[in-house]
Amino acid sequence: MNLGTRRMSTVRSDDEAFEDLFTAEYARVVRIANRVLADPHEAEDVAQEVFIDFHRLHSATAQYAPAWLHRAAAHTSLNRLRGARRRQKREVAQALEEGERTLDPQKQVEVDEDRRQVRVALGRLAPKPAAALAMRASGLSYAEVAQALGVGIGQVGTLLRRAEAALRKEVTRGTSN
Amino acid sequence: MVDDPDARAGEDAAHLEGCSECRGRFEGISDDARAVATLLAVHDAHVDVAGAFDRMLAAPAAQRRPIFRLPLIRPGRRPVVLAFAAVLAGVALIAAVVAGDLTLNFAPNTVTPVPVTVADMQALSQLSNYGDITWTKQPQLQAATSASDAEALAGMTAPVVSNLPSSVSKNITYGAMTQAEAVFTFSAEKARAAATTQGKTLPALPAGMDGATLTIKVGPAIGEIYGDLQKPAAGSDISQLTLPQLVVVKSSAPSATSTQVTVRQIEDYVLAQPGITPELKAAVQAIGDPSTTLLIPIPVAYTTSKDVTVQGVKGVALGDNTGVGAGVIWVKNGVVYAVAGSIKVDEAIAIANNLK
Repeated sequence: MNLGTRRMSTVRSDDEAFEDLFTAEYARVVRIANRVLADPHEAEDVAQEVFIDFHRLHSATAQYAPAWLHRAAAHTSLNRLRGARRRQKREVAQALEEGERTLDPQKQVEVDEDRRQVRVALGRLAPKPAAALAMRASGLSYAEVAQALGVGIGQVGTLLRRAEAALRKEVTRGTSN
Repeated sequence: MVDDPDARAGEDAAHLEGCSECRGRFEGISDDARAVATLLAVHDAHVDVAGAFDRMLAAPAAQRRPIFRLPLIRPGRRPVVLAFAAVLAGVALIAAVVAGDLTLNFAPNTVTPVPVTVADMQALSQLSNYGDITWTKQPQLQAATSASDAEALAGMTAPVVSNLPSSVSKNITYGAMTQAEAVFTFSAEKARAAATTQGKTLPALPAGMDGATLTIKVGPAIGEIYGDLQKPAAGSDISQLTLPQLVVVKSSAPSATSTQVTVRQIEDYVLAQPGITPELKAAVQAIGDPSTTLLIPIPVAYTTSKDVTVQGVKGVALGDNTGVGAGVIWVKNGVVYAVAGSIKVDEAIAIANNLK
């Protein structure tokens, strides 16, 4: 550890560092949550919660900050997805939204049904593979996924492949039920 | 190879061309990947970052900072280290708030995990809205390259890991913290104001709560971080960071003294605050004798815990169910020990049992 550098870095105000972190990571955190929830508004809600949690307990200069945020975004949104009440509310909201759309309603209903099925299936996966899928799909690199989940970078490919197979299986199971 | 074009080269690619079995499997995997990419497709969220930042700062929750930070472990690079920092800070806080007496000598001798949600933790940090916190003894934190330097600062002997797994680096950074002392003074006026801004009603303050003080002492402590902690070059990818594989912490058990109010009053008062879930309330109330038990808050979404025996005493092993690592915490002879890192639970327990 370079102590001189660390001491200097603490001179910089934590608030400034936090603003920089927020600016750099907010959109990515929203993207991860949106990938899980398929709801941009709720994704922003999750992002706010995640940043508030981080702000309370951690220093924005911590180098683990982005990884922490990515993981928290995935887990917080997955937890919301699993909340039965929330899921019901979202389905009702989606049904209403579907009703409002005018462009090729039949096709839109099918797309939305697929999207709903896949979120239900995602919620049934174990936390780590589900988080890995959400992070990767939202554009995080293998290295970033590895960092966020605390696994070796060499394990990410296998983790993702297994998660993809598991998700497809869950989706198939959901649609055949 | 499925979603990294650069990986589709060399011997593997040549093998794939010639092996129908592998090609079939590869196509199956690719098919899964494509299908999942389609299934997970969403409309992009267009975000207004500046607006979102303002909204966050305006949120009442964002304005409350934690009462207690244990700086010793904060330089850690890994979420599990962080989790332990939060745990230890939480330990001091919860231990302090559940252990009150007219003139209390609080000395925990065992540990008990308490599952908490992030909302519970946030609710605890909101306590700073119910009184004033002053540091009567600011903790001094210093990193040292040798155990003897750290021992000199902390005034305690550094723990020695006698069975370091071969996968863990022998490069140790020591940290030492002097004793920190904070005094929390309950304020009825602040508490009422805080409840009002949240649109909630403050539970009636017990007689004597206004102006009651709670003195919390933490440390001294010594921490050892195993691994190469060289700062990476500016702009380098996060994956290039070298992470501490193991962190060992030894700290005098936190102590708390209080005035004017009783154990039951403080406990009831804290647990009646808005935001504390019935689960936490039940868990805390289920603890036997709060003056001898150190509560370890376990964030429900992130960590699982189990009771273990470490060095002949009851300890708690934490295994993060997201795979970031594992750790063990126990209290022996008035000293709190924690071993954590990107290791397996069994390894953490073995290190703990052999810690000298």
